[in-house]
Amino acid sequence: MASISFRNVTKIYDGADKPVVPNLNLEIADKEFIILVGPSGCGKSTTLRMIAGLESISSGELYIGDRLVNNVPPKDRDIAMVFQNYALYPHMSVYKNIAFGLTLRNVPKDEIDKRVHEAAKILDLEHLLERKPKALSGGQRQRVALGRAMVRNPAVFLLDEPLSNLDAKLRTSMRSEIARLHRRLDTTFVYVTHDQTEAMTMGDRIVVMKDGLIQQYDTPKVLYDTPCNLFVAGFIGSPQMNFLEATIAAEDGKLFAVLRDTKLEIPDFKCEALKPYIGKEVILGIRPEDFLPVEYRTDTNCLYAKVDFCELLGAETNMYLFVQDKKVIVKMPSYEEHPVEEYIRVAVKADRMHFFDKETEQAICH
Amino acid sequence: MKMKTSRVIILTVVAVLLAAYILFPFALVVLNSFKAQSAIVSNPISTAGASVQQFLQNLNSVVNNKAFVFWHAFGSSTLVTVISLVLLAVFGGMAAWVICRNKTRWSTVIYMVFISSMIIPFQVVMLPLIATFREVGKFVGLGMNGTLPGLIFAYLGFGGAMTVFILTGFIKGIPYELEEAAAIDGCSPEGTFFRIIFPLLKPTIVTVTILNGMWIWNDYLLPSILLGQNNPNKTLPVAVQSFVGSFVKSWDLILTAALLAMIPMIVIFILAQKHIMDGMVQGAIK
Ligand SMILES: Nc1ncnc2c1ncn2[C@@H]1O[C@H](COP(=O)(O)OP(=O)(O)OP(=O)(O)O)[C@@H](O)[C@H]1O
Ligand SMILES: [Mg+2]
Repeated sequence: MASISFRNVTKIYDGADKPVVPNLNLEIADKEFIILVGPSGCGKSTTLRMIAGLESISSGELYIGDRLVNNVPPKDRDIAMVFQNYALYPHMSVYKNIAFGLTLRNVPKDEIDKRVHEAAKILDLEHLLERKPKALSGGQRQRVALGRAMVRNPAVFLLDEPLSNLDAKLRTSMRSEIARLHRRLDTTFVYVTHDQTEAMTMGDRIVVMKDGLIQQYDTPKVLYDTPCNLFVAGFIGSPQMNFLEATIAAEDGKLFAVLRDTKLEIPDFKCEALKPYIGKEVILGIRPEDFLPVEYRTDTNCLYAKVDFCELLGAETNMYLFVQDKKVIVKMPSYEEHPVEEYIRVAVKADRMHFFDKETEQAICH
Repeated sequence: MKMKTSRVIILTVVAVLLAAYILFPFALVVLNSFKAQSAIVSNPISTAGASVQQFLQNLNSVVNNKAFVFWHAFGSSTLVTVISLVLLAVFGGMAAWVICRNKTRWSTVIYMVFISSMIIPFQVVMLPLIATFREVGKFVGLGMNGTLPGLIFAYLGFGGAMTVFILTGFIKGIPYELEEAAAIDGCSPEGTFFRIIFPLLKPTIVTVTILNGMWIWNDYLLPSILLGQNNPNKTLPVAVQSFVGSFVKSWDLILTAALLAMIPMIVIFILAQKHIMDGMVQGAIK
């Protein structure tokens, strides 16, 4: 059993005047793969390090399983951690690096040998066991760090931006490797990243943090489909969601989002929540991928836009447009090219529009 | 291009002159230990009268000299040097580690005290030292004046400052994550020091040990004050002094004994050369 439970946890660094993490409440279920994501400096690493026991807890309670671990030293928490810069012991061979934790725990020699070779086999490190970390590539070092964590069979696996020092291609393959590792080990994973793709593809659930506060905690699909506020909407998804200012207007029993020169019809199922906003300004969010193909560009439900430039990616096109001086990115699943400064229409998937309150920045409806 | 070659030539000449200047006394010692007293006195820089036979004879008189007791002095020197160096490396490393990783006001103060003790010349403290040591000896219940433990204790004090100073610089360069990883892997603080920090400091420790070693092995003033001329456990440099009588100086024996005293250091230096260079180069780029 290795659920993790934060109860009103606060962290203030010595000498700081305000907490990095104020009053954190978070429940992580056993065997879940949780992603902590958020902008730089929002307290992701701090949160992870509190689980590891590398950072003290200023107030509140932290449970791993049923055990209160506030004052339990790292080595007794049954956790393993993979650091961003790997933190391999430079003077030890790969074998010794992986075996170190077991040696310290007085595991019998043949058992250590068995486990190290098992891990090395899974991670494809068998031919490197005698090398020193200095003689390894970044990806190999990363795998050694994973191996070192793996052999101990920890109840909780903590990873702090483990892939950020790797190149794009290696990152993709390590991503699936770590996901596979999670299925195989069947333990709780807590993974810190600020990479979009890692967050969306790897985790069971994602914690979106900002200034030490949890913005939303849910599955990738829920975060993508129904972000709870402007911040989450802008943070999850790439390219970023487009935000436009619009006024809600009622006409013939229907609601419309009115921009300066266009009018978008709002589907009925969104109307109930928007009724209090009739005559008021709201923020309209449209994801770049929520535009209809060329053939739908009729007079209704279209944005009128000026082309800034088109990014031709072969199978698809990213169009960078201006809608009333606001930058808008449109992703088209086809090849499409327009001269700069040309005015075009782009059709919006009306049922995929998101609305946010302008004052509170909370979502109104999706 | 021409500028460059002429500069290289000038640098080479300077280097050669410098080397000759530094090696000249050493050459003099070597040369004259092959000569008899009379030949040395008549002309110390000529090779006249130098022979291997004479060297062996000098050697024999030095090693078997009743007053000098070469092997005993050699043993004392070795004991003092080795134990001081080991303790300096271990305790110096520990002190540097704690000073470096504990960022409190006290650690800064202690570090400053270490540094400032390097500035004070030994000659200033050497006389009060005897009185202080008598008190320290009473306190720990161990004779400090005139004993080898006392001498070693003094070397820990005088060598500690530089050791801590140099090692602190290197420990700063060791990523803190290594220690965190070790803590998660199950290391106690002592375990972290001996299994992670100490091995990583090895090249620097070799360098520091060589520097301390040369000084402790060759030191004359401290053991002569603390042990005294007539101490049976006196170290080599002090023992060499016993050839200096009030009326005669047996130069042949003095120089041969000095040569013998130098040899262990030279041998160690040659053997450890690679490590010393490693340590120094690492210091340069890290
Ligand atoms: N040891 C420390 N002492 C004081 N402040 C700290 C310390 N460590 C981190 N902080 C501060 O706490 C805040 C959160 O840091 P944290 O490392 O948790 O951010 P993060 O979300 O991991 O960011 P990143 O994505 O850049 O790694 C930052 O503002 C940082 O400056
Ligand atoms: Mg971080």
